[in-house]
Parts: sequence; C-alpha cells; structure tokens
Amino acid sequence: MKLQHYLGGLEGLGPVSTETRVFVEPWEKRIFGIHTAMMALSSQLPLPVTPSTFSTVWTWADLRKGAESLNPFDYFRFRYYEKWLGGICGYFIAHGYITAEELDALTEDYYAEPGKALPSAGEEAIDARIVQYLVEGDSPKREAEVNHAFAVGEEIVVCDVPTIEHTRLPGYLRNKTGTVETVYEGAYTYLCDTGPDGIGAVMPVYCVRFDPATIWPGNAEPNFAIYADLYAHYVAAPASARQAA
Amino acid sequence: MADQFKYREDREAYSAARVRALEALLIKKGIITDRSVDTVLDYFETKMGPFNGAKIVARAWVDHAFKERLVADTPAAIAELALPEGMAGAEGEHMRAVANAPGVHNLIICTLCSCYPWPVLGLPPYWYKDPTFRSRAAREPRAVLKEFGLAVPESTEVKVWDSSAQIRWFVVPERPEGTEGLSEAELEALVTPEAMMGVAVAGAA
Repeated sequence: MKLQHYLGGLEGLGPVSTETRVFVEPWEKRIFGIHTAMMALSSQLPLPVTPSTFSTVWTWADLRKGAESLNPFDYFRFRYYEKWLGGICGYFIAHGYITAEELDALTEDYYAEPGKALPSAGEEAIDARIVQYLVEGDSPKREAEVNHAFAVGEEIVVCDVPTIEHTRLPGYLRNKTGTVETVYEGAYTYLCDTGPDGIGAVMPVYCVRFDPATIWPGNAEPNFAIYADLYAHYVAAPASARQAA
Repeated sequence: MADQFKYREDREAYSAARVRALEALLIKKGIITDRSVDTVLDYFETKMGPFNGAKIVARAWVDHAFKERLVADTPAAIAELALPEGMAGAEGEHMRAVANAPGVHNLIICTLCSCYPWPVLGLPPYWYKDPTFRSRAAREPRAVLKEFGLAVPESTEVKVWDSSAQIRWFVVPERPEGTEGLSEAELEALVTPEAMMGVAVAGAA
C-alpha cells in the first residue's frame, strides 16, 4: 500500500497553497520540456521514426511510477517538478543512456558556471515529431467489442484490487458503493499493464457518482457529490461483491 | 523526524544546475536537440493555453445553444471554433466540460496525479498539483474553496470531479453579472484558469 494512492481525504495537512504560477522556479520549465519531448519520442507511438537515439518507452505511467515510488515523506517534501527531475534522471541512468557519474560531474560544472552554454546539435525531424505528438495526442480509446456490464443509474461497488506499483483507482473509493453517471462510449486501454491491479487491457470506463457521506460517514461536508472515472476492472455488481466477501 | 524535512541550502541552484546538465547530456547523446525544450515551451505559449479555454467559455456565455452542445459533446463543440490545431491533441484527447449554474458549483481535482486539459487550459497551476489540495478537496471542498477566497453556500451543491481515467475535465463558470454589453473578447479577459477548474468564479467586468 502506497500513501500516494490514498491521498483523497487525508487529514491534518493544514492550508492549501493558492500559488497560481505553473513554474515557481525558472529551472522547472526545462524538466517539463524534457519530459514532454520524451513522451513524444517514446517508442510505442505510431509517429515517424527520427534520428533520436531515444529507443525506449516513456509515458505518464513511467513518470507517475517514479513519483509513487518515493518515500511518502519525500513525496510531501519535494515540489512537483523536483519529483520529476529525480525520476527522469533516474530513468536515463537506469536505462544506460547516461551515467550517474557524468551527470554528477556536469552538474558541478553548471553549478560553478550557471551561464555556460548548452551544446548545439540535433536534427529538425526530432522537433517536428515533438510538435506532431502535441497536435495529435495519444488517445487511449481502442476499436474493440466490449461488454458494458452497467448502465446509467445502476449501483456498483468499487473493488479492492491488489495494487502494487501503480494504479488509477483512488484509494478512498475502495469498497465504496456508487451510482453510474456516464457509460463512456467504446473501450479504453491504459499506458501500461498494472499487473494484479488489473488495468492495461481494453475495457469500458464508467463515470461513477459517490455520496461523500458514505465514504466518510459523519465527516463529510453536506450537499456535495464526488465523481470519478473508473476502469471496468475496478467496479463490480453489489451482489457479486457480497458473494466474493 | 525533523531530518525528514531538511533541504540542502542551495536547493534551487543545485536543481537548476542538474537540469541543465541533464539537458546538455541528452543533446550530446542525440536524444533531443538543442531546440527541443524550447519547442515544447513555445507550443504552450502560443498554441495550448488558457487563452483557448477563455474563448470557449466566452462563446458559451453569448450562445446558449453552443453551451448546451459544449456540455453534451465537448470535443465536437470545441471543433466548431477557430482555435489552433491540436485541440484534441496531447492531454485533450477526451475532454468533458461541466457547467456551473444557480445552485451547482463544479470543482475539478486529480487525487492520483495532475491530469489537466492541456489544449484548452495549458499547464496546471502549482495549487492544482500540490498534495495538500489534492487530499483535502476530495473530502472538504467548501473549506478548500474558502481558502481560495470563494464562499459557496450550503444550499449550492458542490460537484467534485476526480480525474482518474481518460477524461480531462474543465468547468464553464457562470457569466458574471453586469457584463451584458461586453464583446466576446472583453468577456474572455474575465475567465481565469482558476475559474475553469472551479476554485474561483469568473471575474466581474
């Protein structure tokens, strides 16, 4: 169990930040740009081959796995893009693109001389693919015949699946009962196979409405509803959930 | 315990040097070009940003039939407008708009990460990504909104949308009072990312 999968409803955290800037330090822009370039050059996308030497997969799932693998204290201690910087450096080292030693050494160089220029290199086709990715996106919708087991207005129970590394099931919804608000047309995959957690294959997705008073009895604000988009693997009919219990 | 929250004194200078070193190595090794990062950043300055969402909301304010189509089939309605190409691109492949109305206030959150409708809103502000907001908005949205300076009465239903699968959500705020004489361009200026995520309402003229 990872705290990062159970953030919804956590108490005792103090006031929220109302900071409206996207990047709170100038350097944060650069790691965002690197991440997005990696997403665009990731090998599973059906985009033109370029001279880039990037030959592996990098998606949101990889970025999220990195953040979710942190010690929970570090998850709260570091800002958003600090987590990205750590995760992305770790990925390039783990996949042998760079070594920790050369990264550390060059970090010292730029630390001593922050204005030192970046190298000049690279072919236009690489940046053309980055723009093409931004324009076209990477839809998880797939052409497949799937059985939509639930209809709008039906009650479902959220399963308590054995999540390990990564999930798209918010922890606070596990074992809770909700009502289907929308049955999304078609079927959807996810960016990776989450193993025993159960998503990755093509399946329906439902938008489900929950009454917060059933999630946090006696401890939820009045007159509000919470909605979540849930992959079909995460929901079951109330009767079958009772049978399994 | 106190050690858990210690930072190095040169926290930002170190991160700045490290990200520059990383970018330099990636260029040197042929993974990205010396223009790749700026290409991405330029795209978010000019093509994908909250300026698109503001146009969509302003149109919904002046054209009720468009607003109904926007809520019923968000991508099709957005495609009617003369916005930059890529409105169904990265992180906008499947978007849904929800409209505020008298007695209904919508709030968009992502408790698992930071899902956000890039083509129409650009990149998420810091508050949206902060774990404290993501935790608290799920259970006590009114208390959170109050910290943003927005008082939502108990008689108004708050709908919180947790972006956990393919949909990227945004809010069509209500048109402020006293804006009857304004042009669409003047109305756009009243629409902020915060209003389109539901932690604020659209500004008065």
